Amino acid sequence: MALDITLGQYYGTGSVIHKLDPRAKLLFVLFFIVSIFVAKDIYAFGLLAIVVILSLIVSKVPIRLVLKGLKPLVFIIIFTSVLNIFLSRGEELLFTKEIIPGFWTVNLYKEGLINAGLLAMRIIILLMGTSVYFSYATTPIELTDGLERGLGFLKKIKVPVHEFAMMMTIALRFIPTLVDETSKIMNAQKARGADFSSGGLIKRAKALIPIIIPLFVSSFRRAEELATAMECRCYHGGNGRTRMNVLKMKFRDYVFIILSMAMLAGVILVNIYANGFKLM
Amino acid sequence: MSKMSVIDVKNVNFIYGKKTPYEVHALQNISLSIKENCVTGIIGHTGSGKSTLIQMFNGITKPDSGSIFVDGVDIWEKPKEISKIRFKVGMVMQYPEYQLFADTVWDDIAYGPKNMGIPEDEIKERVETAAAFCGIDSEIMTKSPFDLSGGQKRRVALAGIMAMRPSVLVLDEPAAGLDPRGRREILGGICKYQKESGTAVVIVSHSMEDMAKYCDELFVLAKGKLILQGNCKEVFSEGELLRSAGLDVPEIYGVVRAMRHKGVDISKYIYTVNGAVDAIAELLEGGVR
Ligand SMILES: Nc1ncnc2c1ncn2[C@@H]1O[C@H](COP(=O)(O)OP(=O)(O)O)[C@@H](O)[C@H]1O
Ligand SMILES: [Mg+2]
Repeated sequence: MALDITLGQYYGTGSVIHKLDPRAKLLFVLFFIVSIFVAKDIYAFGLLAIVVILSLIVSKVPIRLVLKGLKPLVFIIIFTSVLNIFLSRGEELLFTKEIIPGFWTVNLYKEGLINAGLLAMRIIILLMGTSVYFSYATTPIELTDGLERGLGFLKKIKVPVHEFAMMMTIALRFIPTLVDETSKIMNAQKARGADFSSGGLIKRAKALIPIIIPLFVSSFRRAEELATAMECRCYHGGNGRTRMNVLKMKFRDYVFIILSMAMLAGVILVNIYANGFKLM
Repeated sequence: MSKMSVIDVKNVNFIYGKKTPYEVHALQNISLSIKENCVTGIIGHTGSGKSTLIQMFNGITKPDSGSIFVDGVDIWEKPKEISKIRFKVGMVMQYPEYQLFADTVWDDIAYGPKNMGIPEDEIKERVETAAAFCGIDSEIMTKSPFDLSGGQKRRVALAGIMAMRPSVLVLDEPAAGLDPRGRREILGGICKYQKESGTAVVIVSHSMEDMAKYCDELFVLAKGKLILQGNCKEVFSEGELLRSAGLDVPEIYGVVRAMRHKGVDISKYIYTVNGAVDAIAELLEGGVR
């Protein structure tokens, strides 16, 4: 069995989006998320969908790959939307039925349907947009680097920004290693007749012991080796540490940030016009 | 001479990461058969698909197309019973020391047989025999497997599969990362086990020297294709092909080749140092030069 993890996978194409400064991308995603929560109607979402589609085209990341990354979340998206249909109240009643007389009546409103559709759009646009910028077009290392530099001002009030960034980098670095190792150990124990998919809850939990113990043992071994290797290279935290690649904002990064702000402004304007000057 | 085959691989293909940008055609139309009662070697450069191939023998991975027969039965005919195949085809994965988990060495070796549902007294007998074959001392048996040396751990893992008494024993790079003495001991132990038990053994390796020494039959993989098969003589006489597949031909082969180049009339079927010594002695006594 191969553990398939597409979410969080860099796909290098060397496009402009890949080359942007990670801090600019962080700012964009911030504006993007705010825009999504400000967006109220189909026009605003349409605008954001155009932004996502443009990003996909410019980044040259195949859309099939991004859609495949969404696949594990389809159930959650459908579940929340369906829940929304039945829990929304509105004015225009489309359908009503008493399921348990006097106790539970299902009402279907037009507004419920619209809300559910918008909610699904909101989740899909959010996931696609952020995954293009955060995982397909930015390596985890660049991302934590950008976070460290972007939040560097917090060091002044004694927040250990560098240490957090280093921990994040290491954790991200070892996720694929752990996934790989888990599937190797599972195969090895299957070859010894381990059975993970039958029996009751207790039996199944017990069957996991031969996987969890070797996994823990090797994680500790790895952590120790990594610590030794870092010490051998004189790592002693962030103070006085210089970098091989120093991040530097370029002209295109500023243009990109201005475009991100324009996106947020656009969504707010659409909201104002479409809803007759009601803010939010 | 004609032996029955225990595993038949027919036109097997396998692709990793199908329909993604990272597609790797790891096995391309492989057909081969593993004979009973002998040591079969599968050689290939790193990444040639050896591990992928042998993991099909016990149904850990399923071929994208083609079929695997164990004792003449297609193992994917009844996918629900695939775990039974795993008792028939014992598999020692690469670096098996990382799969140890139990409190004591004894318990770890007994894990496989217990999963097979064998009665207690027979488990005891099996565990002890397997430990003896792998050269595990009885005082180690009550220790924690995590307190052993690397070589000892490897043997415990090997004993854990041997104790299941599979009819085919498959080992993925059993000697990887061991010093020369450790290599000799573990490979020698496996061959002794093969002779005494009569089971079929499959060894995967990229070391030509080891394979020349221990194997009866050889299959050579390169980039997911089967490029050569036969006994040691037949395979090692194809020095050029092996070299182009990225394999280190035994050094003595280079010596013999150079001699043939210079016009010395020496057989090209020489691939061990001892064999070369005998042939050269014969030439000298025969007074060719
Ligand atoms: N889990 C995997 N996912 C994707 N590709 C893999 C995976 N395992 C192996 N491969 C690829 O398949 C090919 C064969 O690998 P493998 O069978 O491990 O070779 P070998 O054991 O001969 O070194 C290699 O190119 C390798 O990169
Ligand atoms: Mg391998």
